[in-house]
Amino acid sequence: MATPQMVTDAKGIVKVYGSTEAVRGVDLQVSKGELYGLIGPDGAGKSSIMKIIAGVLAQDAGDVRVFGTSIDSEASAEAVKSRLGFMPQGLGLNLYADLSVEENIDFFAKLRLVPSAALKQRKAELLSMTRLKHFKDRPMKHLSGGMKQKLGLICSIIHEPELLILDEPTTGVDPVSRRDFWSILHSLIQDRGITALVSTAYLDEADRFTRVALLHRGKVLLQGTPEEMRRSARGSIVSVRAEPSDEAFERLRAWTPQIERRGDSLRVFVGERFGQEAISEVTEKLSSFRIESAEATDPDLEDTFIALLRRDEAKPAAPSLISRERSVASAALAIEARDLSRVFDSFRAVDSVSFQVRSGEIFGLLGANGAGKTTVIKMLTGIIPPSSGSARVGGIDVAAAGGSVKTRLGYMSQAFSLYQDLTVLENLRLYAGIYGISGARAKRRVDEILDMADLHVFLNQLSGRLPMGVRQRLALGCALIHEPQVLFLDEPTSGVDPLGRRSFWEVIYRLAREKGVGILVTTHYMSEAEHCDHIALMYAGRAVEDASPAELKARLEKEVGRILEFSCADPYRAVELLGTNGFSGPALLGSRVRIFSKSPDADLVGIARVLALAGISHGEVRERPFTMEDVFVHRITGLEQEGAA
Amino acid sequence: MISENKRRWLTQVYALAIKEYLQIFRDITLMVFMVYAFTGDVYFAGSGVTLQLRNAATIVYDADRSQASRDLVRQFRPPYFSVEDAISMPSFPVSGDPSRGGDSELARGDAMISLAIPHGFERRLLRDESQSLQMRVDTTHSIPGYLASMYSARIVNDFAMRSSPLLSQLPPSVTDFFPPLRDEYRTLFNPNQDEGWFMSVSQLLNVITVFAILLPGAALVRERERGTIEQLTVSPLSPFQILLPKVFAMTSIVLLGTFLSWFFVLRPVFHVPSRGGFPLFVAVTVLYVVTSTSLGLLAATIARNMAQIGMLTIFLVAPMIFLSGAWTPPEAMPAWLRVGTLAFPLHHYINASYAILFKGAGLSIIWPSCLAIAGLGSVNVLFTLRRFRGI
Repeated sequence: MATPQMVTDAKGIVKVYGSTEAVRGVDLQVSKGELYGLIGPDGAGKSSIMKIIAGVLAQDAGDVRVFGTSIDSEASAEAVKSRLGFMPQGLGLNLYADLSVEENIDFFAKLRLVPSAALKQRKAELLSMTRLKHFKDRPMKHLSGGMKQKLGLICSIIHEPELLILDEPTTGVDPVSRRDFWSILHSLIQDRGITALVSTAYLDEADRFTRVALLHRGKVLLQGTPEEMRRSARGSIVSVRAEPSDEAFERLRAWTPQIERRGDSLRVFVGERFGQEAISEVTEKLSSFRIESAEATDPDLEDTFIALLRRDEAKPAAPSLISRERSVASAALAIEARDLSRVFDSFRAVDSVSFQVRSGEIFGLLGANGAGKTTVIKMLTGIIPPSSGSARVGGIDVAAAGGSVKTRLGYMSQAFSLYQDLTVLENLRLYAGIYGISGARAKRRVDEILDMADLHVFLNQLSGRLPMGVRQRLALGCALIHEPQVLFLDEPTSGVDPLGRRSFWEVIYRLAREKGVGILVTTHYMSEAEHCDHIALMYAGRAVEDASPAELKARLEKEVGRILEFSCADPYRAVELLGTNGFSGPALLGSRVRIFSKSPDADLVGIARVLALAGISHGEVRERPFTMEDVFVHRITGLEQEGAA
Repeated sequence: MISENKRRWLTQVYALAIKEYLQIFRDITLMVFMVYAFTGDVYFAGSGVTLQLRNAATIVYDADRSQASRDLVRQFRPPYFSVEDAISMPSFPVSGDPSRGGDSELARGDAMISLAIPHGFERRLLRDESQSLQMRVDTTHSIPGYLASMYSARIVNDFAMRSSPLLSQLPPSVTDFFPPLRDEYRTLFNPNQDEGWFMSVSQLLNVITVFAILLPGAALVRERERGTIEQLTVSPLSPFQILLPKVFAMTSIVLLGTFLSWFFVLRPVFHVPSRGGFPLFVAVTVLYVVTSTSLGLLAATIARNMAQIGMLTIFLVAPMIFLSGAWTPPEAMPAWLRVGTLAFPLHHYINASYAILFKGAGLSIIWPSCLAIAGLGSVNVLFTLRRFRGI
């Protein structure tokens, strides 16, 4: 074949479940050696597409070819299965919890009829590469999330497939393990010439792929290399700090819908304008405000995604006001955790955690699965008692006065715990009743919540049948029905698309700033951490930092310097070379190389020299601002090394 | 005027009770299953299940072929026995020793009883000589097997009495004293010994038990699976307020099923009486269902998911029914099992229900049963509330 060999060629895939169209005509071409990404929120159709290509789900329409074979029957699907590796969604769901690491690998190898000599050699290689060698006798159920995913990866490539299909391998895995997972995947693809189709719900992972398809509601919104994607939303993001901030926000929102708050600053998307031109367009609109700073950057993928969605759907802006009454931001403590600990059997899930959240503040608790975030929330809300330490909410000890604390707090759990067989209205009325609100006040509150969460059109629909974003708004509405002074949100945005996430955060801001509600939120989206006034990182049950995002980034910068990043022809060798030449923290992020630098100007020259000597061509070396993910990964890696030492 | 606090309390409980009703009535599968259990299931139990001997397949090998042998065979009458002559069956020898005859029929289950009458039966009978008949009974199913051998023994005995030439020649003045004890029956409470009464009511009580445990148990487990229970725990509700609406809603729904069963099956089909008054039966049922719902809620604090609550219900209900005394009176059980009988509320409920419906008993008679149910119920409620605080 003259063209690069097509591993997967799908045209017009359609998949319908009952009355929902999960996939609505998707075309997908993956060439040999590519790391192809399917990116999109939950329910975008990623899993269905992957299962169809893996031959475990039959499409309702469309032509799917894998290795040139048309997958149109059980038999044809069977024929290509030996050349495929498939890892379904969910942490270690395809593995056997009670088998050890090695037994799991052996089982999958035998299932795939791998000869024992080959198995021995591959197993040794893969175990050492994934650093699971020392854990090979440990039962799978006792592995961490990141380790489970690495084991899952080994099990799906032990028969050396030509095409690897991984469904959301990084969901629910902490950022450190996520980076680790990606670097293993990259070297596998490099060394063995595997082609991989990988899905993810994290938009910021797009850079890791050779090519990406952005999915939304069963359709491909955009397809191309990460660079092409970024360029497709023509415009810039202007971050501006203006006083008074709330009025500035209103002013700008009247002008453009794509605007969000990030701490003190406002991020505005300005189409077709770049650099100074974009900045002045924004500052002109804010002529009557005191502008403290303004800078223009390229939009990231999430901005692009939202810009595209807005263009396609012309969705209304964020849900409108709660009310315009302003409460004075008080210094009262909304939440106070003092040496909070919780021991399950012999396992310390939470270890002496202390922090304070004032009224009107948004406090973020960041950490991997199992770091103890949910347990902290459960102790603060009185669902489980602490083993030691004290929790105060609204100034009252949670343990001492059960009932009176409970009327002051609102809680929205991970699963949006709604009664799925009740309608929107019935859910709201139920929660009004549960908080003892009846008569005219109940009616008024229900109406207010319907307005705030924009739920009028869904009034009589069963909540179990609503899209995730709407369900989330309803769950928030139920948590707010009694006008709590303190709000606990446990991973409130998981499974919600970026547009839904943004309007959700808008409501949260307003609650904090206008109503003076103290808010505690946990999230594993590092980009969302930027919304918080201050953040604590949780690791192995401990809260290790507590500062504002800007402060955390500044601390990191002080410690390691700036971040320099570039793309190059042979990133693996580049990382190695930079390491041996004494550059600090070289790492591979997707196809790009990153180093830390305390003297960027000198290092720019240094990098160019080292790479030129080795004959590696490279793109422009650029300085990029720190993200919360950088902070998290650096801190946690440090702690892990401390723990190992 | 009710106080603000009381109003608040009622608002909360009312909202939760409405929720329970909405959830149950929207669960179409559950509704269909409930309607079936309270009507179809009770009907089948009342009309299909019997512990009496009915149409026991009997094969007779009559080697004598005499007046007397035919006379004897005729005593094995329907509806108890269904007699077939073995003359055409290949497994029987045409002549000679019939003692092995019918083996294969018994083994295959085609016959339950085989009766062999030897050659020369009538001759020996007239001479008043002692002789044997052979009867073999399949007692795999012990109750009908036992009944068949009992009945047959009695039939043969009576026959022997009547046909003994010695006895038949005695004057009536003598035979009047023969046998010295005469048995005549008068049956109390169920004069026609209609098994339909017993079986249908007993099945209704079982169905009530199953739903009273399963409905609240499943409802609570579902709240745990969906995480809504956490939402209730963080709201200003006491455990009692969370559980009360469930008990209330489930009790009323089980009661609805009971009415359905009573007015559409038990009364019109089986003509089950309510001598002690239907209202009293309803009152005892309410007491019992409340007790059982709290048992279901207790089970739900242990079970982690729907499958577990289903299994737990089976584990709970099966021994409850066996030990309840519905099948076997507790007196017939080993002593240590009898304690178990008393510990389950179903036993007391069955006692009270039979007493009210069939015997016309009033509260003055059944109060110990009611007290036992209430006592066991209070223990359940307290225990459930305590466990519920812990989850």
